[in-house]
Amino acid sequence: MNEAYTNNLLMIDLSRKTHEILPTPDALTEDFIGGKGFGAKLLFDSLSPDTTPFSEDNLLMFLTGPLTGTMAPAMRGCVVTKSPLTGIFLDSYFGGSLGAEIKYAGYDGIIIKGCAKKPSYIWICDSHIEICDATHLWGTHTLEANRLIKKELKDDTVKIATIGQAGEKKIPFSLICCEYNRQAGRGGAGAVMGSKNLKAVAVKGTGLVRVHDPAAFKKACQTAVKELEKSADVDALRLAGTASAVEFANEAGLLPHKNYQFGTFAKASNIADNGQSKHLWLGSSACMGCPIRCSKIGAVRTGKYKGIVTDIIEYESAALMGSNLDIPDIRAVAHLVKLCDLYGMDSMSTGTVIGFAMEACEKGMIAAPDGIDLKFGNVDAAEYLIHAMANQENSLGILLSKGVRQAALDIGNTSEKIAMHTKGLESPAWGPRGISGMALALMTADRGGCHQRGFTVSYELSKEWNNHPLDPLSPEGKALMVAHLQNYSAGTDTLVKCDFGSFGISKETYARLLSAATGKTYSPDVFIETGERIWNLVRMFNLAQGMDASTDTLPRRFVEEPLPDGPGKGHRISKKDMAYMKQEYYKTRGWDENGVPLDKTLKRLRIDYVRPDQ
Amino acid sequence: MIFPIKIEQLNSQQECAINYFIHTNFDKCTGCSICQLACVMDLFNGYNPRLSRLVILHKKENLYHFPIVCNQCENAYCMNVCPAKAIKRNASGVVVIDSDKCIACGLCAQYCPLGVVVLDPETGKAFKCELCQGKPLCIAACPTKALELARKDNCRGKINE
Repeated sequence: MNEAYTNNLLMIDLSRKTHEILPTPDALTEDFIGGKGFGAKLLFDSLSPDTTPFSEDNLLMFLTGPLTGTMAPAMRGCVVTKSPLTGIFLDSYFGGSLGAEIKYAGYDGIIIKGCAKKPSYIWICDSHIEICDATHLWGTHTLEANRLIKKELKDDTVKIATIGQAGEKKIPFSLICCEYNRQAGRGGAGAVMGSKNLKAVAVKGTGLVRVHDPAAFKKACQTAVKELEKSADVDALRLAGTASAVEFANEAGLLPHKNYQFGTFAKASNIADNGQSKHLWLGSSACMGCPIRCSKIGAVRTGKYKGIVTDIIEYESAALMGSNLDIPDIRAVAHLVKLCDLYGMDSMSTGTVIGFAMEACEKGMIAAPDGIDLKFGNVDAAEYLIHAMANQENSLGILLSKGVRQAALDIGNTSEKIAMHTKGLESPAWGPRGISGMALALMTADRGGCHQRGFTVSYELSKEWNNHPLDPLSPEGKALMVAHLQNYSAGTDTLVKCDFGSFGISKETYARLLSAATGKTYSPDVFIETGERIWNLVRMFNLAQGMDASTDTLPRRFVEEPLPDGPGKGHRISKKDMAYMKQEYYKTRGWDENGVPLDKTLKRLRIDYVRPDQ
Repeated sequence: MIFPIKIEQLNSQQECAINYFIHTNFDKCTGCSICQLACVMDLFNGYNPRLSRLVILHKKENLYHFPIVCNQCENAYCMNVCPAKAIKRNASGVVVIDSDKCIACGLCAQYCPLGVVVLDPETGKAFKCELCQGKPLCIAACPTKALELARKDNCRGKINE
């Protein structure tokens, strides 16, 4: 019996309308701890390479970690599936309180396969599992579906994951709304849910999550809180959330402007914490169990878009839907992001797709729809495209809703030069031309173009990592840092930690929390070890899906066009630099020159069973 | 009138004057539930905000969070409905439940207007906020000072007499 775990996995087959509760295997907790680790192992074991993302056999997993639902600060849950946007592994994280609720209901994870014959939602109240009709909910947006289910269940306290119209239509960058203002946002988990005819998962749990040594656990929690209090990064997040990164990125020349043609935006302040606190924010709202309270909550009170409640416009959304589209009006950006949230589309991918469309139209690659001035800075055009994509209203909406990689393939060769993605996942708002380590992190992130798997920016700008001097513009010496950050992040995503918590909480304290909670003794090194194991397992999974080293690359713009502005002006990540960094990285990881893990690496990590001929 | 005071001023329940209660500042509440986690760990040796002795209402897409804590009512319905006379006001004015006398009927939880009486999932016995011997754990845990100990000056008897 593992304490802090519920030791149960809830397996639901929507095709057969059956469910079973299986014990969480000890081997799973021992080698993979939880969250991302569970997801990587279960996906690897369960999916054959020819399982397509929308096939009945694809798994949609809502997973927790041993510290989810406890007093350990800043813990979350995650969704793991095979992504329809990238065709490879996807892990997408959500805050709020859904993760904790799953544990209170008695499960370490909910694993869903199959496809319901008609629109359905799953109602989980402790051991009561019911697949309910959702025909009347089909076509509603994420929050309307949430409201209606709570009304139907006569309980406002139920925690619900919903999809909007985008997920129903299987738009490959659809998200899962984990109420409120918390999303499993990236990579299209919402579309997988839609492909299963699953509108929502509603959860209520009345059980307790216990820890092995409450006194030691309480002490470790107190240490974690103290570490958070000491962190300047956490302090900045507490004051102004991720919006505080807008001006930072602008000064560093990393803020995407006009589909990443530029790295600075003259009106950055308007969409940063400065503009947001003036026009939107009213107070702070926290995820369950989190003292950081990075979310600023408010409303658009005046102007054309008045009347909406809005969360902070997170850095990524502010950049990709704001500066990237040359839109400096934060109320308009809030309106566009809210539309995405309601339809259930990732506002990051959506912003990149719209930026792509605006540039493609300005360059004559695509024609503007009648009556729409499809150019940068036009809020109405951005809104038009969001509706057109979410509702599949016309050929342009349908084309763009495939994501930039597929849209560029459909449009033709020249547009591929302005399609900003890696492995199909639209690029995050950290243009890497002035910081080569970030370029390597984007090239090699396990779910495609993602900044969170190894965030090198602050190290590179301070020109030091782990007492090693760093030149942000040089390709040399980046591999060790990137691999280390990826391993640590993957390792702590088993708990399931929030990245912002890890800005303050040390690995020693995470290990103390985990040890006190479970009753097993963990060393602080367990996160690097487990993270490396997960990273290699996911690599093997991705290779099995047909991915190869050629996709460890950057959008062509970052490679071919020197940055025209900011401190990194004149710099690009050349093909030669990419090749150098890749080989250094593969070698550091114990992979061959094609990016395939060597036998000895797999053996060292105790996952040599992933090669069937071994 | 409410006079917020520092919890350090209260060393024991005996020193607690009549009608202390937890005053809530919903404008400072972020809805984080850390107060509830501290409460429920003390009560049931585990975590789940649903089983804590205080409630947080999350409203309008989390634009507002309302913490709701026992009022230590002068006319306490929980006490009125208890058939076992297990609920009494102690010398400090705090409404307390004698667990030995509680017959686990659940009436107090059913008729508490604030919904802050909880039932032990295993025994069915009732528990409510008794101000943690004058040092409420929820107040100590709250990261934003949304909860604070307060006293009424219009209660039975005069304070500090």
